[in-house]
Amino acid sequence: MRSKLTLMLTPLLVLCMTFSFAQEKTISGNVTDQNGLPLPGVSIVVVGTSTGTQTDFDGNYSIGASVGQVLRFSYIGQTTVNRTVGSANSINVQMQEDAQALEEVIVTGQGSGIERRKLSTTVDVLNEEEIDKLPANQIDQLLQATAPSAQIRLSSGQPGTASVIRTRGPISAATSSTPVVIVDGVRVDNLNSNPQLGLATGGLQSSALADIPVESIERIEYIKGGAATTLYGADAANGIIQIITKKGKDGRSSAFFESRVGVISATRDFLKYERTGEALFANGFSQEFRVGINGGNENFSYNFGGSLYKDDSFNLLNEQVRRTFTFGLTAKISDKLKYQGSFSYVNFDSNLDYNANTSFSRFSAFEGAGRGDLDLLTDEEWQAELDRSNRIGPLVDNTATNNRFTASNKFIYDFTDNFQANFTVGIDNRNTVQELLQSNALLVALGSIAEGTTDQGSLSRALRSSFTVTGDLNFTHKANFENFSFVTILGGQFFRTTDRQNQLNGSGGVDGTRSLNNFSEQTFADFVLENANYGLYFLENIGLWDVAFVELGGRLDRNTSAGNNTSALFLPKVGATYNVSSHDFYRDSEFSNILSTIRLRGNYGEATNFAQPFSQDRTFSQNPFLGGPSFTFNNPGNNDLISETVQTTEFGAELGFFRDRLFLSGTRYMATTKDALFTPQASPSEGQFNQIANIGEVENKGWEFELRATPIQTEKHTLSLNVSYNTNENLVTDSGGAPSFVVGGFNVLGSVVDEGQSLGFLRGTAAVLQDDGTYAFETNSFLGDTFAPNFGSMSLNYSWGKFNLFANADYQFGGKITDLSFLLRHLRGFDNTGIPEELVGATSPFNYVNFFVFDNDFLKVRTIGASYDFGEIGKGLFSNIRFGITVSNPFNVTAGGFDPETTGSGISAQNGFASGGFAYGIESPPRIFMSSLKFEF
Amino acid sequence: MKKIIITIFGGLLLFSCTNGFDQVVDFTEVENPNLSEGSVVGVENSATILLSGVERELAFALNEILILAELGSDNYVNTQTFFSQFLDGLEMQATDPDIRDTARDIHRLRELALFGLETVGPGDPNYNTDIEAEFNFFAGMASLYFGMYFSALPGEPFGVPLTDVQHYQNAIDFFDAALALNAQPEYHLAKARANYYLGNQSEAVSAAQAALSLSTNFDRFALFDQANGPVNAFENALYQRATFDDLQPLPTLDFLDPKYSFLNTDQDAPVHYLKAEEAYLILAEANLADGNAGAAQTNISDLLDLIATREVRNIDDSIEQRIEVDPGSRPDNAAVVVNGRTGLVLDRQSGNVNVPSVSGTSLTAGDISSFTADDAGLELLYRTRQEVFIAEGLRFADMGVKLIIDENEILLNENISDGDPGTVPVIPSFISAVIPDLDAITYDATAGTATTAIDLNQILVANKTAPEVLPFH
Repeated sequence: MRSKLTLMLTPLLVLCMTFSFAQEKTISGNVTDQNGLPLPGVSIVVVGTSTGTQTDFDGNYSIGASVGQVLRFSYIGQTTVNRTVGSANSINVQMQEDAQALEEVIVTGQGSGIERRKLSTTVDVLNEEEIDKLPANQIDQLLQATAPSAQIRLSSGQPGTASVIRTRGPISAATSSTPVVIVDGVRVDNLNSNPQLGLATGGLQSSALADIPVESIERIEYIKGGAATTLYGADAANGIIQIITKKGKDGRSSAFFESRVGVISATRDFLKYERTGEALFANGFSQEFRVGINGGNENFSYNFGGSLYKDDSFNLLNEQVRRTFTFGLTAKISDKLKYQGSFSYVNFDSNLDYNANTSFSRFSAFEGAGRGDLDLLTDEEWQAELDRSNRIGPLVDNTATNNRFTASNKFIYDFTDNFQANFTVGIDNRNTVQELLQSNALLVALGSIAEGTTDQGSLSRALRSSFTVTGDLNFTHKANFENFSFVTILGGQFFRTTDRQNQLNGSGGVDGTRSLNNFSEQTFADFVLENANYGLYFLENIGLWDVAFVELGGRLDRNTSAGNNTSALFLPKVGATYNVSSHDFYRDSEFSNILSTIRLRGNYGEATNFAQPFSQDRTFSQNPFLGGPSFTFNNPGNNDLISETVQTTEFGAELGFFRDRLFLSGTRYMATTKDALFTPQASPSEGQFNQIANIGEVENKGWEFELRATPIQTEKHTLSLNVSYNTNENLVTDSGGAPSFVVGGFNVLGSVVDEGQSLGFLRGTAAVLQDDGTYAFETNSFLGDTFAPNFGSMSLNYSWGKFNLFANADYQFGGKITDLSFLLRHLRGFDNTGIPEELVGATSPFNYVNFFVFDNDFLKVRTIGASYDFGEIGKGLFSNIRFGITVSNPFNVTAGGFDPETTGSGISAQNGFASGGFAYGIESPPRIFMSSLKFEF
Repeated sequence: MKKIIITIFGGLLLFSCTNGFDQVVDFTEVENPNLSEGSVVGVENSATILLSGVERELAFALNEILILAELGSDNYVNTQTFFSQFLDGLEMQATDPDIRDTARDIHRLRELALFGLETVGPGDPNYNTDIEAEFNFFAGMASLYFGMYFSALPGEPFGVPLTDVQHYQNAIDFFDAALALNAQPEYHLAKARANYYLGNQSEAVSAAQAALSLSTNFDRFALFDQANGPVNAFENALYQRATFDDLQPLPTLDFLDPKYSFLNTDQDAPVHYLKAEEAYLILAEANLADGNAGAAQTNISDLLDLIATREVRNIDDSIEQRIEVDPGSRPDNAAVVVNGRTGLVLDRQSGNVNVPSVSGTSLTAGDISSFTADDAGLELLYRTRQEVFIAEGLRFADMGVKLIIDENEILLNENISDGDPGTVPVIPSFISAVIPDLDAITYDATAGTATTAIDLNQILVANKTAPEVLPFH
């Protein structure tokens, strides 16, 4: 074994050694910026060789080179410097800011990237350094509290489950608010709800967001919808999360090895009964190893990343294992043709406890007093409960395995310096196998079948394969005249998704098998969704004196989920941005030292969401019934069905003070969802299922503010703070004459769509105190908006030399949520807190549901972390060793005694609307104390 | 040379286009795997398959009906459930989704049966009168259920609301059509029931007699598919312990619970919705109404003979605790005396228990003489009806209570406005006066005595002349 290990490590060692010893003469020196401050991390390469290095934290470097060779110094935002090696052994370099290079390039839309200052839309960006610091392994957790205008709500602490993500309010009653996720130009499966044929675990299911590859990410762009997403078409109205992976860099090869170890402890802040925690919780450990290798030269660069992760969660049951590797490369095939490829594989295994909507769930049973008032049980009774719980726990068997392959290929052809073609083609394939084994032993332990029963075990297996292929060809032309610049993009794009699901069920089984062959009764179900979307798009960005930019664009969009009577949709966008502070006269004025950036922008754009594939067709079902076929009506059909269109107008301004050390961004948006897809109740007398139709209109209006401040910035100390505040006003302005309908929760206490109210507001019968002291029961009462109309995040980052401290938090207020555990405790007669005595027992609790609805306000600190860079150690073997510690979810402040985020059980349909109006039966995300040690070579 | 290469390449390209190679790069083709109308209409044997679909729909409809009707009656009480939050207290709201779904499923049953009669049947070369009779029968059952459970409802999509009387009449027309095609005892009984609730005593009696003349022990039941669904939702509520369900019977009916229990992994327990017992009970009630106690006693005697032949299941019901959340809080052993009567409660923790799965009664041969043509005899008859039909939804109809029209129907159907007949609950005054007591009991576990707060059979008989109840009086 040892010799095998040596054999495996040798190439790696050889690789490291090669970099250290290929030299003829040692050149050393110091690199500073234009203010004379040391510049760490400057890449220095010997041109024409693979030799390279980086400056250390004091800006010093040393490198081997021969006389006559050229050293190239490069750093983001600085003009690249070339120096020829002469007789001197020391070369010091002072770099200058490169105004053009400093312009952040956004990959928004299709085509080549466009400088941020030319865009009239806003994009939230998370860069490599910020991503690296965070302990999270899921895309949603990375963005939480770091994307300033996104609401990312952790709906559960169970492994593999993901957040409800939304930005500018709920725009659709027909689909989830999850943004489209694109990895290197390729759409990936983003299903964040139960699949159609998901297994009955009580509500929660593993989410596709949990296994989107997050290793080797160079940057994440969060595009919030509106004009910014027009060119993406199809279902981009919820916004886009665009992930760009590392593909190596021209420069010195480097590698890292990182080990992370964590302690996972349950969050007990929200427990009604401490005994629930005693029965179910136990601290667990997480362990992760990550490696990365990257490097390259002018013609070829590469990046490899891999990781292994395991944790055994905060309770006695959950475990998750994750194995990933990613590979990215850039190859210059000829002077004109470049190829960029990336490939990733993620394997994710996890298990779920029963949760929420099943009495098999111990957590929801305990917290909902399904086992009585735990506080009132005698020690003896409690011990019996503990014994029962401990009998059940090990028998719960609900597993999920996900395997995902994502590959992207991009060809870039430069016809001239100003004319470029990009062709991208890629695939994403995610395969899920879920198994739910209900053994006789489990059913007996639960009291669900009589003791001694041995032939009623069941096994369900849900298989889902999601396949997406994306193709895009576009041409970008850039032209610059004296006072005008033009960027012209013309392209065509398609994507096709196939979602195939099969559920296989065996019942009437004995214990001891995981093969369906061994069950006396076998049934199955299948489900298919297929959608093809294709469109042509163009964009013209016209620059005026390099300070103002006008954008005109549009997309002609068509997809196969529309009815026969429809035609392609044209989605226009227009925008303008004016960088006042870019005027020469302004930059030269004294005033620019105070107000360094003034930027105004405005735009209008349309984006769409399409209905679930095939919902336009009239269909029948042939169901198996008692061993034979049986016909019935299925979908009524709608030949006029078409995507709903979100029309967004936004205006904004950016103001930077004191060389942008204080930076304020504000945006006003107004979005109207036209032809909104509603699925109202059919009239019962029709005897048909409900049919989705373009009958509604939804309006979202709001403000987005972000403040970024760097109050301290000295040679040693840097302190930066970010605070965001967003508002959202949501209103269903037209329901097309349809009666109100329920989109979540229960019918008697539901999340409802109704004209004149917010989407998914809470509605139920309220008991209202009258002047004479009696209560009137008002049916269909408004009980609150489920979407908090005020939300934001905040973060802090402090560096002191090699020490870094950071923290982030997010908050929301103004919304309402139902505490379903309380409702259950009350129904079971164990909790009358706050309920008027005269109501208790006098009528159904569903006649006074207003007493179970509370504010959903919270302020939650998501991460606090610190790191220290030891710098070069081991005679250059390690270029740096970084030690870091983080704690996740350390502090929670909420309006009520329950966690207003644990709403994961509330999404009933695949990719369905999630109001988040019901907290129930699910453990909160745990506290994780993690340490990491990263060795950089 | 160049020309040759171009020609060959061009030729290959052309060949690729003509050889369907475009499929390789055509990404726009999608296929809905579900059935279109063309696969259902005009196809051989489609009527038979649709008939099976109608049977299946009846199972869905019964799932909705039974929960509401049994909770709304004194038969069962909700102790822990999300099955209907209101009907236990006979609260009826137009927003109640359970009422909506009940109406929708019965309408769906009708629409499917009519689709068979009007479209699928005529298009199927193998269509026959037996199938046609069944389509008529199920269309009639939909109308019968409309009449039994709603005071007014449309009889067609967005139609004008018809009263329960009109629905019963429509049901009779459909049953007559079915009988003309293929006379079956259950068709006669269904017609007898419609006439019974209409108060048409002689028509009810002749239909009941016609039914019995074809068979003295017929039993039409709805089947449930344990493997593929629908499963018997009421069996879940009574017997299984999986979801939030724990329905508890009135202690006087404890020995009849659970009528539905686990059968096998293929089939769930059937609901016996038209059985010969009902014909005997209709005849007995008619005889009592006519003062003919002797004939009534004969009917009851026949009834007892029939019940004695019905299946009694020997089941392990030890997971039943009275009740699940608070075991021992309701009568749970054989020693308990309920309303002064013994033998009504089973001990489920000492081995298997015997529970009738079709019909059961506490009535014995010795009780037959008590069927006298007075109120006491009628009370006994209604007690027997309650016992025989437990978990079959008839008690609710016997109480004269009617559900209301759903708010979606009110909003979408221009023929209906809020406040119209059918949008207001129908609850006889003598029932609304005792709503809190319908399921109320007092139980002294130590003394082993349980008492129901009221005797609803007594109340019904005391109000026999009210138009809503005891239709022959």
